[in-house]
Amino acid sequence: MFGSLKIAMVAIMITGIAGAGMYVMKLRSDNAILKANQLKLESAVADQQELLESQKKDFEEILGANKKMNELVSVLKKDLEDLDKRFNKKNRDVGKLAIAKTKSIERITNGASALATRCIEIASGSPLTEKEKNATKKSEINSECPSIANPSYVPY
Amino acid sequence: MLILATFLTSCAGVKTLEIFKKEVPRENLNLAKPTPLELENLRWIIITSENAEEVFKKLEEQGIDPVLWGLTDKDFELLAKNFARIRNQLKITNDLLDKYKEYYETPVKKKQ
Repeated sequence: MFGSLKIAMVAIMITGIAGAGMYVMKLRSDNAILKANQLKLESAVADQQELLESQKKDFEEILGANKKMNELVSVLKKDLEDLDKRFNKKNRDVGKLAIAKTKSIERITNGASALATRCIEIASGSPLTEKEKNATKKSEINSECPSIANPSYVPY
Repeated sequence: MLILATFLTSCAGVKTLEIFKKEVPRENLNLAKPTPLELENLRWIIITSENAEEVFKKLEEQGIDPVLWGLTDKDFELLAKNFARIRNQLKITNDLLDKYKEYYETPVKKKQ
């Protein structure tokens, strides 16, 4: 009887030691998994940071694009107002002028028409020539649409 | 006992965290931009009651049919303004298209 009690005790001890060993091994394995999880979480956080940065850049780009479009709309509006001024400045009557100075008004009209034609080409995507790009004087610019034809020109 | 210990320890196991992340970007449309316009210059002729005969005579001399499409000075002004408006709209639409292309078709890495 004492013998079988001994065997039972030994069996319990062996089981206990084996269980403890397995538990330690499992803990080590869990630890490795937790470390891997930690790395993944850190990487996920970094990805989120990157996403936030990218979103911030996108917002800045959207604001910049909006600003540029608004600027374009206002300079084009100014070109249109300038055209109106050319016709009606100081109660100017183009009809009467054309009767009085037919040839010179015809020449001016044809010159302006050629410039306006070029403006439409530029608006449709035609690249600017070097001359157009570098024009800074009133005598060099396309007076019909300086805002899109002469980027270097500053009105004075 | 050993089996029981194994089961018990396995119950409280830590699962491997799996994060699935697969972004499939939409293909770029990549339509070619329309070719810029190349327009012909046209010639304006101003006719008054005084020069009308002379103008038609010159046209005949140049072998051009002596017929003209006319505009009053007011209508000429309106035509010029209409063209300026069309031009402005064309420019805005073109630039808008460029901005959209730049925004949606530039790789994110390049943008940064």
